Amino acid sequence: MTGIWSGFAIARGRLRGPTAPLVLCLCCAGLFAIGVLERQSDAISAPDDALGGAVFGIALPLVAYLVSARTCAETRLDRSVDCVARYGVNRRAALCGVLLASALSSALAGALLTVSALLGAHAAHSPTLLADLRASVGIAVAAGTVYALYFGAASQLGKRGGGRKWALIVDFVLGAGSTALAVPWPRSHVRNLLGGVPAFELSQASAWVALALIAVACLTSSVVRTAE
Amino acid sequence: MSELRFLGVQHAGLANLNASFAAGTHVVVGSESDGSGRLIELGAGRLEPESGRVLLDGVAPWSHAQTRRRIAAVFASETLLPARDVAGAVGLSLRALGAARSARQVLDDAGLAHFADKRVSTLTPRETRAIALSLALSEPAPALLALHEPLSVVGIVSADFVLGTLSERSAKGAIVLCTASRLEDAARLGGSTSVLSHGAWHEPAFARPPLGSVALRVRTAEPRRLAARLSEAPDISGVEWPGGHELIVHGSELESLARSVVGNARAEAIRITALKAEEPSLDALAAARAGLAQATYERARGAGASAARQS
Repeated sequence: MTGIWSGFAIARGRLRGPTAPLVLCLCCAGLFAIGVLERQSDAISAPDDALGGAVFGIALPLVAYLVSARTCAETRLDRSVDCVARYGVNRRAALCGVLLASALSSALAGALLTVSALLGAHAAHSPTLLADLRASVGIAVAAGTVYALYFGAASQLGKRGGGRKWALIVDFVLGAGSTALAVPWPRSHVRNLLGGVPAFELSQASAWVALALIAVACLTSSVVRTAE
Repeated sequence: MSELRFLGVQHAGLANLNASFAAGTHVVVGSESDGSGRLIELGAGRLEPESGRVLLDGVAPWSHAQTRRRIAAVFASETLLPARDVAGAVGLSLRALGAARSARQVLDDAGLAHFADKRVSTLTPRETRAIALSLALSEPAPALLALHEPLSVVGIVSADFVLGTLSERSAKGAIVLCTASRLEDAARLGGSTSVLSHGAWHEPAFARPPLGSVALRVRTAEPRRLAARLSEAPDISGVEWPGGHELIVHGSELESLARSVVGNARAEAIRITALKAEEPSLDALAAARAGLAQATYERARGAGASAARQS
């Protein structure tokens, strides 16, 4: 437990400061504005367009990427815990602590981004707002968590964690498709959960399972590739 | 009894390092460009060697968390754990160590209590190293103390505290492995001295002679009388009078040498007008390095020849 706590504490310390909340507030304000514009353009499809495009398509992966880079001190995930490993902390446990902080932050950010976009896309007293919030916030929390683990595992590649950047690009490019090539990437399953085109014609239940499998695979890969 | 072993280690400029350090104080003389910083990082398990093995009591500290818990280290470049202030950062480190002592107590013991409320981001690199040193020296019973240039932070931390704690840990059976880029620091740290030159390690037997002496240039109006007095002092190994008003005084440790010269001059009521540490000439350093390399080569050749005879 000391290892997980130590990793969590250093990741929390790295996120401390005015930059992270400021960026999140700006993103929320931007997404609210996009939601309002979408509503003015087409009130019926505004929530879906705002969520599928701006929130889950761009903002959430980018915020999760930035959170991952910040919690890992802009380096590889395994090297980012060296500062506590020197005190006899198990690197694997500390790494889990860093990933926990990263996942919680990304999930929280995802939820706030979703709420902002939906508040902008729905009219003030829309009867469907609550139902949309309930469904979308759950997906945002899951997507934030999976993206945090995905970027964490990717940062184990490259001398300074350059794999994280490539993971973002690959997710944008390959995850946007609907063929079998899109299956390993979180974007395709998140889109499926939001009611978009499924990857490889998977059902929505399978998309949940796929996201869970990606999360477990990424966590396992991060732990296995790290020395004690 | 603990033992730290480097077995055929090659890593970023360190060339086939084979060395063994038992309990006691060991000083490796060499600059960072010679690989002294890497040596400490490898010994403390911060780096994994590119080839070869580093073992503390038969276990690689790089891949064994429990072994790293028995090591206290100060690296060439230090960063404190992310926290609001220095006390918070030290507290996080202590909690990671599983230590019960308080951060303020650790800082206070090293005379660094005034840093406790400072923001971590406002510290200079030297101050950060001093705090890391206070943390390393607060470890009550480490198996290995691996310290890069521990005397370079003297001024922020007192020399007496550093030297006293190191000798106490050494006496308790810890391996105290220090690096020093200055010969006088090596002499003050004491223990066995080896040399790291361009990544090649030269063991104590070959390294000791050229490093065992420091010199002071003393200017006085009465050089003959002072030389006569100093030649009888037990802590002075030699006195040269090249002529004029200057003497070159040799000893093993710069600070005690200076103290002895001043004390003896005062006892004879001789006025000293200048006192300056004599830097070894580049030629002397080059000769020393060449001699070390030659000695290592001869030794390796001798070992090879005896192995061939046995087979």
